Amino acid sequence: MPTKAKTGSTKGNKKRSSAPSKSGSGSGSGSKRPKPTSSKPTATQHKPKSTSASTSIKKTRKPPHLRYSEKELKIPSLNGIKPTGVQKVPNKKKGKIFVEDGEGMRAIMAIVMAEKEGDVESKMMRARRMEEVREAKKAEAEKREAGRREGLEGRKEEIRMKGKEKRKRRGVEEIQRLVEPDGGKVKERTSKKVKKRVSFG
Amino acid sequence: MRPLTDTETKTLFTKLAHYTGSSLSSLLTPSTADSSDHHVFRIQNSRVYYVRSTLANLATSIARPNLLSLGTCVGKFTKTGKFRLHITALDVIAPHARYKVWVKANGEMPFLYGGHVVKAHVGRWSEDVPEHQGVVVLSMGDVPLDRG
Repeated sequence: MPTKAKTGSTKGNKKRSSAPSKSGSGSGSGSKRPKPTSSKPTATQHKPKSTSASTSIKKTRKPPHLRYSEKELKIPSLNGIKPTGVQKVPNKKKGKIFVEDGEGMRAIMAIVMAEKEGDVESKMMRARRMEEVREAKKAEAEKREAGRREGLEGRKEEIRMKGKEKRKRRGVEEIQRLVEPDGGKVKERTSKKVKKRVSFG
Repeated sequence: MRPLTDTETKTLFTKLAHYTGSSLSSLLTPSTADSSDHHVFRIQNSRVYYVRSTLANLATSIARPNLLSLGTCVGKFTKTGKFRLHITALDVIAPHARYKVWVKANGEMPFLYGGHVVKAHVGRWSEDVPEHQGVVVLSMGDVPLDRG
């Protein structure tokens, strides 16, 4: 039995040794050799594997601000109230803001034109109103002048009429006196009418 | 050379609108379908120029200190931000003028030498001109002489 076993073992050795012989390590004695040869490459293989895995973990590990969200950290919230004086928008363009597009230009022009139009219109309205006031004043003055003239004319006419009436009345009175039978007065009048004469020699 | 800012644009248009009517907007829009006819306003050394857009694009290749002028000078911005029109702007304004005064031949030279337009020299004028309104003064042959 043991001999069999030995032979068997040798057989196995032979079989095993055949593999390293291919690699060129040489055909040597026994069962001791393959053990260290088998263990050594495994050890050497393990080391780089372990190191590569650790680096890969390190590489794949995210930075802390990506690993946790702000809410998970339970940090008290900041005072987010903006003071009224501060109106500056962050990331705002520095310097001048140009009106490069035609649309913007046209919009500004429309605003300006509307303003000017309003100004001109108000000026025209004011001028028209002033003209109306001037016309009304002129009409008033003309009316007053006409009234004054009319009054004067009326007065003149009145005076003229009065004179005529007086003259008329006087004429009537004279005729009556002349017609009256009582000639005392007429005589007196005639005596009054007699011209004084002076005769010489 | 740079485009105008919005405040500068407003100041410029306010000044131009003093002399022109609503047709001022045709200054910016091309008269024909051709886009090369499109004009723009550019500012260089506080002077405003009315330039063809193609020319303005070409002028970007010239450094600011080297560029003296381009296009038609409309006027200049004062240091206080006001705008002063130059006589060169007359050709831009005159076709769009709203109120005009035509001066007789005997009044042209006195006016061009700095005198006032007297009543005797006025050949004709636009109707309903409001007071303190900008007008364009023309000769009887429709040649723009100045603005006033």
